[in-house]
Amino acid sequence: MNATPKPPSRPSTLGDTWALRWPERHLLLLCALTIGLGFMMVLGSGYAGGRPVSPLDLLPFGIYGGCLAVMHLTLVAARFHGDQILLSSLAFLAGFGLLAQYRMGTLDFSDPTNPGLYLFPGGIAVMLAVCIALVRGRYERLTAGLWVWAALSLLLVAALLALGQRYRGGVYGVGLITPTELLKVTVVLFLASFIDRHAKPLANWGKGFPRPPVLTLLPLLAFWGLLAGMLLLQRDLGMFVILSVTLLVMLFVGTGRLGYLVLGGLAATVAGYLVLGIFSHGQRRIQAWLAPFDDPTGNSWQILQGLSGMYSGGLWGEGFGAGNPEYTPIAQSDFIYSVIGEELGFVGCTLLVLFFLIFFSRGLGIADQTRSGFGRLLCIGLISVLATQTFLNLGGVTKLIPLTGITLPFISHGGSSLITGFISLGLILAISEGPARTQRRGSRASKSTGSKRAPVKQPRAAGKKSRARKTDDH
Amino acid sequence: MTLPLDPSLWSAVRLVLHVAFFLAIFFLLKELVALREFAQLRHLPKPKGAFRIPFILLCLLFGGLLIYQATWQLTGVYRPEFISFMQLHDRRTFNPAHWIQRGRILDRKGVVLAYTREEQGRAERVYPDGPLFAPVVGYSQPRFGATGMEAVASAHLNGGEPTSLNDWRELGRQIVARDKRPKGKDLVLTLDADLQRLAAERLGGHRGAVVLLSPRDGAVRVLASLPSYDPNTVDSGLFLNPNASAPLLNRATQGLYPPGSTFKIAVASLAIERGFEGTLDCPANGFTTRAGYRRIRDHEYYTAREHGEVWRGYGRIDLSKAFAKSSNVFFAQLGVLEGHDAFYAMADKMLLNRSIVLHESPYGNFSLRTGELPPLPDSDNYGLAQLSIGQGRLLVTPAYMAMLAASVANRGVAMRPRLTEASPSEPLGRFMSTATADQLAAMMRRVVTEGTARSINDPRLTIAGKTGTAQNAHGDPHSWFVGFAPADRPMLAVAVLVEQGGYGSAVAAPIAHDLLIRAQEIGLIH
Repeated sequence: MNATPKPPSRPSTLGDTWALRWPERHLLLLCALTIGLGFMMVLGSGYAGGRPVSPLDLLPFGIYGGCLAVMHLTLVAARFHGDQILLSSLAFLAGFGLLAQYRMGTLDFSDPTNPGLYLFPGGIAVMLAVCIALVRGRYERLTAGLWVWAALSLLLVAALLALGQRYRGGVYGVGLITPTELLKVTVVLFLASFIDRHAKPLANWGKGFPRPPVLTLLPLLAFWGLLAGMLLLQRDLGMFVILSVTLLVMLFVGTGRLGYLVLGGLAATVAGYLVLGIFSHGQRRIQAWLAPFDDPTGNSWQILQGLSGMYSGGLWGEGFGAGNPEYTPIAQSDFIYSVIGEELGFVGCTLLVLFFLIFFSRGLGIADQTRSGFGRLLCIGLISVLATQTFLNLGGVTKLIPLTGITLPFISHGGSSLITGFISLGLILAISEGPARTQRRGSRASKSTGSKRAPVKQPRAAGKKSRARKTDDH
Repeated sequence: MTLPLDPSLWSAVRLVLHVAFFLAIFFLLKELVALREFAQLRHLPKPKGAFRIPFILLCLLFGGLLIYQATWQLTGVYRPEFISFMQLHDRRTFNPAHWIQRGRILDRKGVVLAYTREEQGRAERVYPDGPLFAPVVGYSQPRFGATGMEAVASAHLNGGEPTSLNDWRELGRQIVARDKRPKGKDLVLTLDADLQRLAAERLGGHRGAVVLLSPRDGAVRVLASLPSYDPNTVDSGLFLNPNASAPLLNRATQGLYPPGSTFKIAVASLAIERGFEGTLDCPANGFTTRAGYRRIRDHEYYTAREHGEVWRGYGRIDLSKAFAKSSNVFFAQLGVLEGHDAFYAMADKMLLNRSIVLHESPYGNFSLRTGELPPLPDSDNYGLAQLSIGQGRLLVTPAYMAMLAASVANRGVAMRPRLTEASPSEPLGRFMSTATADQLAAMMRRVVTEGTARSINDPRLTIAGKTGTAQNAHGDPHSWFVGFAPADRPMLAVAVLVEQGGYGSAVAAPIAHDLLIRAQEIGLIH
């Protein structure tokens, strides 16, 4: 390749890759600097509050910086030429999450055997592994495992249902790990494979009165019924909502049929009434949402304490580490956003939301540029899982919608959620790398039927479909 | 590493770090956007913009969320329920809700009953008159919340909704400048500080209550309850110690007492309404419904016996004379004559067994109990005879007795008592017909001119009323006086109760007299 003023679009040498990835380097350095400032704020507040500072307190920042460096170098070494913006915004979000957890004291660095310490490096490692393993179109092979993904999803929920322990109205695995978090990947993999394989019949709603192709949908509906039943048995309404929104979005993007969203909306209304009729758990949350001041010291205590913290924070916040988030119960998990509101104010919250939006926008951009039907669907599915999850969490904490008890991706305390987020990101990064190199494309095309059909249906899906894609997120 | 850190130095460093952190995030954001072009995925097919609209929708969704969040985080001061929740339950010392400069509470002439002062960097409520106005004003305090009008008018005192452009501009300034001193609005009560002070003074060391209100519009001029507590120094001891003097009990609106002879106003109105005319025999040895039951006698009988004399009884007397003399024998017979159904129908019409809400708000109501009249078996005529002289199982609050007197003064219609000048006056119900009220008013005037309350007959003011000396299980009788003045064009109704005060004519009546005379002096009666 000849050196040009512009970075080469298809680097093959190490030097080319190094040159190509300078924006990432630049952004990751800025991330490290920003998060470093945050650590100084938290450490300073602790010190001013009388907590002794030890050199070990710099460990989390060291881990963060080290991880970013290793991540960058690994990608360069692997001659990865996929996305850099998505990665950089994630680096900031995850760093911000680390900072928030450090501030809440959930990361105990005095004990080197604490598994929480290795969560972030572990997540980065998993992400890199997934990305590099599936890069250059290899992710297409995942579509072959269609029913493996379905079976794995059901098995995960069933196993948790059989072995899990009940805690605060939900079901958790041993050590409060939530294995069902993995559903956010496995279910999306199943859906992407299924919809991609049956894209044509699914888009065929017949002439005259439009009705969905029930026969083709049947396996999908059966799977969904089982999944929904088991999730609701565990009272995991939040997960069910996330996956259902994702299902509808993927059906719509995969077929271009607006009818799926309409039908889905109707089904959601009916299901909502039924579920609320059955579960007192849900009713209490609806009550706390609609009339928080009816029972301020009971049902609505947590949300009102969170809002109080945010009101105390005002526009600029009290400063990281200077608030009293301990007054909000379990703030480090679902209510981390209210802590950010308390300590960094409305401005901090807005900046955080902007980073999430950049993240989603880049994810959608990658889907837009992907011509493989499976890759495109997978990318859209993973992004809509994350977007729905983010909206449900932020909406719940700000009392815009009822609380669903789900975490904020990359920020909340919760290992399973964090690792799942990193796996999702690894997949999207692999997709962003594009199909196999030109010279090998011929040999690979025979393997993957999905990628061949994709360009045929793209034009149909692209033009009009987009409108209502996100409208039923809430 | 435990070097002492200068707090002022740290706060400066913290500010710098805070600003630097935001600037760094902002710069990172800018670079992310700027480098988007540079880091385009050139090896992939050209973007088609297929997801532009979904992304715009996503932005709108999150934008809407942020706007909704701002209604709590930035303009939460206009959510009064939220503010009072935080004042009660939020322990963050830096929460602006604890700093709100609540509006003052004023009496009708502008005397300050409560204001906010900054004490050690924290807004603190001050009550210049201490316990005097506590029964109405209540307290507002971060640890124990708020009661009384402090709770009821919380929204208004905290500032209420922004109504003008100026309000909004002020709000914007407060948010940006982090000024944590939101300002509230003043509240003007109907109370008269001067009269309230006199009422407490004249009650002296006694427990009791005084209610003074305007019969025509329900405006409450005095609502005193003694003993009271000092709202400036509310502490847990006030709530914990079981205290016989019950300072937290608002005796005027919640304290239940046997009304004694003052209830004869209601029984007389019943008899007049039902067309009772003529006389009843009132012998000295009293009246009972069944042999063996303790005889109900007149007060004069006991006085005479104490002095070793013999009283011959009133003989046959009519309603007006019996009322003026407060004859128990007469009213016991009268009640039995009218019967259970009529008695209970009257009690219902006069709103006994109710709680009347004076002011309503999501943070608490200001209400008064009227009284308690438990049902009586139809066969229990002796019980009915007891009720007819205001004894037995009948209990009422002083505020209710003031309302009853006011209904007579207002030609039969009781107005809803109101405590703030801003609240409209509204009728509560008709207690008796206009004709009955007029006749009763004349009878009540006669009580002062030639009856039991002769001692307070004053040429300066035509007072009408009824005394009461209510027997109770706790010792000396409660002393009552209820009435109004001037008799021909009533402008104030009054109820005075002195717990274990003795004779109504000797203790309660002079207090009512002094208050009414003072009211005339300051122009409330003109």
